[in-house]
Amino acid sequence: MQTNVHPSIRPATWASWLAVASTIVIWLVLVGPLITLVLKVSPSEIVTALRQPGALSPLGVSVGSALIALLILVLLGTPLAYTLARSPRRGVRWLEAGMLLMLLMPPLVIGLLLVFMLGPLTPLGGLLAHVHLSATNTFFALIVAEVYEAAPYYVLGAQSTFVGLDQGMLDQASLLGDTPRQRFFRISLPLSLPQLTSSLAIAWARAIGAFGAVIIIAYHPYGLPMQVWTTLNEVGLQRALPYALVLLVVSLPFPLLAFFWSRRARR
Amino acid sequence: MKGSRIRMVVATGMSALVLSACGASTGASPVSHQTANVAYAGSLQLLNEGTIGPAFAKTSGYGYLGRGAGSFGLAKEIVAGEISPNVFESIGAAPIAELEPSKTSWYVSFAASPIVVAYNPHTSYAPTLKKISQGKLPISRLFGLLDAKGFLLGRTNPNTDPQGQAFYEMVELAVRRMHLPSSLVTGILGALDNPAEVFSETSLEARLEAGQLDAASAFQSQAIQLHLPYIALPAAINFGNPRLAKDYASARLTLTDGAVVHGVPLLVDATVLGHYDARAADAFVRYQLESLGRRAFIHAGYTVFKPIFVGADVPRSVRNAD
Repeated sequence: MQTNVHPSIRPATWASWLAVASTIVIWLVLVGPLITLVLKVSPSEIVTALRQPGALSPLGVSVGSALIALLILVLLGTPLAYTLARSPRRGVRWLEAGMLLMLLMPPLVIGLLLVFMLGPLTPLGGLLAHVHLSATNTFFALIVAEVYEAAPYYVLGAQSTFVGLDQGMLDQASLLGDTPRQRFFRISLPLSLPQLTSSLAIAWARAIGAFGAVIIIAYHPYGLPMQVWTTLNEVGLQRALPYALVLLVVSLPFPLLAFFWSRRARR
Repeated sequence: MKGSRIRMVVATGMSALVLSACGASTGASPVSHQTANVAYAGSLQLLNEGTIGPAFAKTSGYGYLGRGAGSFGLAKEIVAGEISPNVFESIGAAPIAELEPSKTSWYVSFAASPIVVAYNPHTSYAPTLKKISQGKLPISRLFGLLDAKGFLLGRTNPNTDPQGQAFYEMVELAVRRMHLPSSLVTGILGALDNPAEVFSETSLEARLEAGQLDAASAFQSQAIQLHLPYIALPAAINFGNPRLAKDYASARLTLTDGAVVHGVPLLVDATVLGHYDARAADAFVRYQLESLGRRAFIHAGYTVFKPIFVGADVPRSVRNAD
């Protein structure tokens, strides 16, 4: 960019240096805990932690429950997000407000409210019992907690993706005789897939790291975050941190892949 | 000039890195006036945050900063340097023992927090539980009821929580003292960390209040503060009498990691840690030993007794509290 300002003042340079500096600072601040974690935990400590009897089961519990939670989100959250994005009806704004409220709710509060809603002695809890499910200290309860913690992130992300679709292209498809359903599967979904995957990656991170609602309704079975918490309380930080690193290693590949794929698809 | 700018950016970045990598201390630092930075057992939360903390700050002029969590967890965090309070209050002295000798060499016991069985007044078992609490039915009936199929009992994890340990040991003692069938112990409690009845400390009383449990382990103080009806237990099994320490010790429990723990009276124990803001820290402990603090403890459902000092180098200002 050309400027007529005297070269010794160079405001653009100052501004860009400031931008670089603040970027570095905020990045370091945000990533600092991660650097600390990697510096504090040696590979041998991870091996020791994972060799404890039963230490691998939280890993399986976390991955299994988070995958099922994601499946539920894709099947139920995608249609909801599409409706939120594309339906002109007024009532839909209420649905959107509901999602936003859930996003604002601290996970711990969600957990407490789930106790009131799904506990064994509530009507819904009774219905669950009929199909031999319980939302108290079970694998099912863990999935429920994870869905609650992750859903707003996926639905709102997917919604904004659908909002950004090229309206002209959709109109053309209608003119050519496509039904709404055909439009969704032929145009909306394929075009949105990279961004949807990004939203799903965020939801995955939220689900596998879910703790606030989990500690209330699913103290058992231990997933990785609960394992970190109880190990911290039983034997201390040094033995708890390796699990945090395992959590990171397990949950990271999917978001990274999604990130790179959506970057490539956008080019 | 350009070089100095680069150096500045690098320096800012490096200092941020160093700060974050060191895990900058979160404890309050003594700037203008001293603060009692108190880490305490989660069960003291209502009392400390609602009554004692504000009253102490008002009458003493020192600042007050509190945080509540499981006693053992807090002790672990203090040892690891994650938090640096200058007062530590736990239920039972075992968590304090983990801080000796590097952080402290003494503690004072001044109140007891007996174990009770709190119950929800609206579930189908409530009428019977109420009769037991009023003495119209013998206390031994309680243990039969806890063992009943379909009875929803909640307790905390003995591996991480002193209350969880005491409740487990209480059932063991009760069965022995009342000559009940010994199968009741496993019938009522199951495995140490029984998934059907072990909940986080955070959610246990909430579940009871929500009517999702018939009964739950609780400290008497919690039951009183939360207005939950409860069944008081005889002193011989409630871990609330410091003079029965020997009897309580006959109950034993093997934790998941193989460690064996013995029953101890559930006393509120306090100590001062570290060297910063020591005057505020001493004053906070002293406040609890004196009349205003004692009254607050009694009001909150604790039993208080003449302070018992254990260990060496008790600060004179604390020892001389009346």
